[in-house]
Amino acid sequence: MVMQTSVLPPAFTEKADARGLLQWINAPERRGPLLVAPALATLFLINILPLLWSFGLSFFNYRANRQALPRFKGLENYADLLTDDRVWERFVTTGLIVSSSVALQLMIGFGLALLFAKNFPMRRLVLMLVLTPMMLSFVSVAIFFKLFYDPTLGILSWFVSLFTGESFALLSTPQGAILGIVVADAWMWSPFVMLLVLAGLVSVPGYLYEAAEIDRASAWTRFRTITFPYVKSLLLLALLFRTIETFKTFDLVFLITEGGPGSSTETIAIYAYRLGFQFFRTSEASALAYMILFVVIVLTSIYLYVVKRRNAAEEV
Amino acid sequence: MSGSFRKHDQASKLRAACAWIVGGIYFAPVFWIILTAFKTRADALAIPPKLFFSPTLDNFHAVFFNVSSTGDVTGTGVWLYFANSAFIAITSVLLALVIGTLAAYAFSRYPLKGNDTYLFVILTTRMLPPIVVIIPIFLMFRVTGLSGSYLGIILLYTGFNLPFSIWMMKSFFDDLNPEVEDSARMDGSGDWTVLGRIALPQVLAGLAATAVFALILTWNEFIFALLLTGTETRTVPVAIASTIGGEIGVHWGKLSAMVSLFLIPVFIVTFALQNQLLRGVTFGTVRK
Amino acid sequence: MSILTLEGLSKNFGSFAAVKDVSMAVQPDEVLCLLGPSGCGKTTTLRMIAGLESATRGSVAFGDQEVTGLPARQRDVAMAFQFYALYPDLTVAENLVYPLKAEKATADECAQRLNRISDILQLGTILHRHPHQLSEGEKQRVAVGRCVIRAPNAFLFDEPLSRLDAKLRDEMRGSIRKILATLDKPTVIVTHDQLEAMTMGDRIAVMREGKVEQIGRPQDVFDRPCNTFVAGFIGTPQMNLLEGQCKAVSETEVILELGGEALVLPGNRFAELTENGEKITLAFRPRAVSPGHAADVIFENAKVVLTENMGAETLVHAEWNDLPIRMLAQGNCRDVGTCLDLGVSVDALTLFNRVGLRLALKSDGGRH
Repeated sequence: MVMQTSVLPPAFTEKADARGLLQWINAPERRGPLLVAPALATLFLINILPLLWSFGLSFFNYRANRQALPRFKGLENYADLLTDDRVWERFVTTGLIVSSSVALQLMIGFGLALLFAKNFPMRRLVLMLVLTPMMLSFVSVAIFFKLFYDPTLGILSWFVSLFTGESFALLSTPQGAILGIVVADAWMWSPFVMLLVLAGLVSVPGYLYEAAEIDRASAWTRFRTITFPYVKSLLLLALLFRTIETFKTFDLVFLITEGGPGSSTETIAIYAYRLGFQFFRTSEASALAYMILFVVIVLTSIYLYVVKRRNAAEEV
Repeated sequence: MSGSFRKHDQASKLRAACAWIVGGIYFAPVFWIILTAFKTRADALAIPPKLFFSPTLDNFHAVFFNVSSTGDVTGTGVWLYFANSAFIAITSVLLALVIGTLAAYAFSRYPLKGNDTYLFVILTTRMLPPIVVIIPIFLMFRVTGLSGSYLGIILLYTGFNLPFSIWMMKSFFDDLNPEVEDSARMDGSGDWTVLGRIALPQVLAGLAATAVFALILTWNEFIFALLLTGTETRTVPVAIASTIGGEIGVHWGKLSAMVSLFLIPVFIVTFALQNQLLRGVTFGTVRK
Repeated sequence: MSILTLEGLSKNFGSFAAVKDVSMAVQPDEVLCLLGPSGCGKTTTLRMIAGLESATRGSVAFGDQEVTGLPARQRDVAMAFQFYALYPDLTVAENLVYPLKAEKATADECAQRLNRISDILQLGTILHRHPHQLSEGEKQRVAVGRCVIRAPNAFLFDEPLSRLDAKLRDEMRGSIRKILATLDKPTVIVTHDQLEAMTMGDRIAVMREGKVEQIGRPQDVFDRPCNTFVAGFIGTPQMNLLEGQCKAVSETEVILELGGEALVLPGNRFAELTENGEKITLAFRPRAVSPGHAADVIFENAKVVLTENMGAETLVHAEWNDLPIRMLAQGNCRDVGTCLDLGVSVDALTLFNRVGLRLALKSDGGRH
């Protein structure tokens, strides 16, 4: 009986029923669920439900521009995608952009952090200038770089023409297009890496450097035994975070090259977009989206694992 | 000791010089766009690019007004896109903030069974590639007629901002000393009073930071807006992108003016949020 | 064998003078404790010796070699930090041999010294662990070990025991004392704990507001505090300091006015005295106070206002003519509110003049 009253709402037979229900909802042991409920409901409606829908779609041959009743295909879509050379090509392209861009971001970001780790006059202001790119919209960044790379009025083309006498269209070759995207992405996101590494650098207690000074450690030893240990977990977080974000990159590439020339910069996200919204192969696009989702979930789990381990280490 | 102090001084000057150069490089593209916004059409097309020119406000005028050959002035409707962007961002952020703050407080103070799993799923929905959600959302909106409506895009952005608000606000609540709240309980306050009178006032700065951050993320968002807004509900990023889609002559001056206007709130926010940037860009997972 | 010498050492932070004109010499086999309340400049002095802080004025020298202008790495000093400063990514063993790299010690020698230190400090079982896996006491031992493994010009310890709990602190005090006895280099320990200073130091330098107030052997400082600050700072429970006025001075008698009553002291005890009418402070340790009339100086009808039972003894706080007097009584505590007479032997009395300086006694034998 006691168990029942605490789990089930009282029956609606008496006068004070409405108030009884309110009290039942407001009971202290239900405080957590009550506060969380609106958020979970919203998320279910706007995020989870669509995901389930598209998960279902990925087993059919549904096309959003046709009226025909979809036919169940089981795992066929997944099998087709996994054996499709075009899909693997897009994965390779994505991998290439992700790895080179993230590597570049990490290196530049680390260097920037070392530069800004110590104080100097007007440091905050200069830091602002460097941090601006990552707060910008992809659309603005795409515009900057389109103008920058433009063969007729871009500064890059003008600069190259000083040496070659000809205008230069970086984005017209596959390698050039990838390079152009990597540079834009690294410009936008290396400040992000800097911000994380900087947090690690300033968290190093000053007395450790003093101890190293007393112990007469060389600059390299100091870096290896003091600086790096404090930065490495944040560096790893930056790596994972940027990999996740770059892996799903759509906007920047879509706006700068639209995947071209040919399909040389077509990332997996753009390909999924094309499948879904240009070729209307909705089910296949859903299946591909789920493959992307799988990768992101794995990376996110690793990321959260590192976050947790780092927080635990900090509390000791 | 004075000798080594002088050396320290020189190193600091060198560092400052390097930092200014780097800062210049990072800000150059932004600077260039702003510069271009003040150029006449001829100046904007000049080769080599002009650093010095007589500035004009024509481009800003052209963003909002068409002047026909007969001299009639008509609006371009661009102000509507700015209004849309602001309205949609503010509404969805407010909604997400209210719902998210309550949930964040619960996740921080009344852990549910499987608390970490909930939080993981919530963060995952934020980490999702937009393309994964957009296909079914697009279909759902088509079925329910929400496509192209304010309600649709606001709902979507609320869902998009909610995970961010929850993780950010949880990180702020986690930073508080729960003893203060316990003490208020000992003094006879109920849970709701504790939340409203004790906990919330302590995280007001965090709440503001979360709000402003979410506003900027929403203000900047492109792909959902591209696919789910109609001509009446179009936001600025989509409007900007549509002007560069074509292959023929982009009016760079006018485009730059529009981008410059679009950037103003972003600058203000970046400046105001400097101390919370780290937390913001990592969704509250990295605090220090 | 090099003596550590400080000459007129001063440090200003902006307009704030943290250390004022500190001069002292520490012998090679000597342990000197810098003792004082927080903010007295003791740590700053230590950091100037180490070379972590530049001196505004004055000099630091090891033997006849002046090192004032040299950075820490060129001074060859070993230091144990208050927060241990263990390198987080290195094991205990790696932490310990870390400073030996700069000494260019061979692998054999490193291993030998590591063994010796880990034996003395009982670190054998934790050598492979990382700092975050250590208890507070273990961290402290490693920090001390990393300091004493070296053969430097001087050993410096910054609040070595402050982060340990009471029991551990008692244990570590003993083992550090043992290690210090084996060191043959000038050693300076900074502490705010007088018990640590008394037990570990061969000499104590009591500091206040950047200045050294008194420097001497622990017993001397305890017996003959040079001024009211040192008198009040050294010794628990705190020394009784009663302010009054000098009424009459003669060869045979000194008459003080304390709390409106006249108090007669035998005059032949004092080598120097103040003039009539001057402010004077009468001081004696609570342990020298006993109840009853069998004493040279009697404070009649003192009222007990508070008692603190300390186990074997009871600290009785009494009020006599509105002046507080503390007495350390054996056994049972007195009831609050009762009145009793408090007696002090004249041998336990010390006088301080109007600026708080101690008046010499004939029994000092010119040592003051």
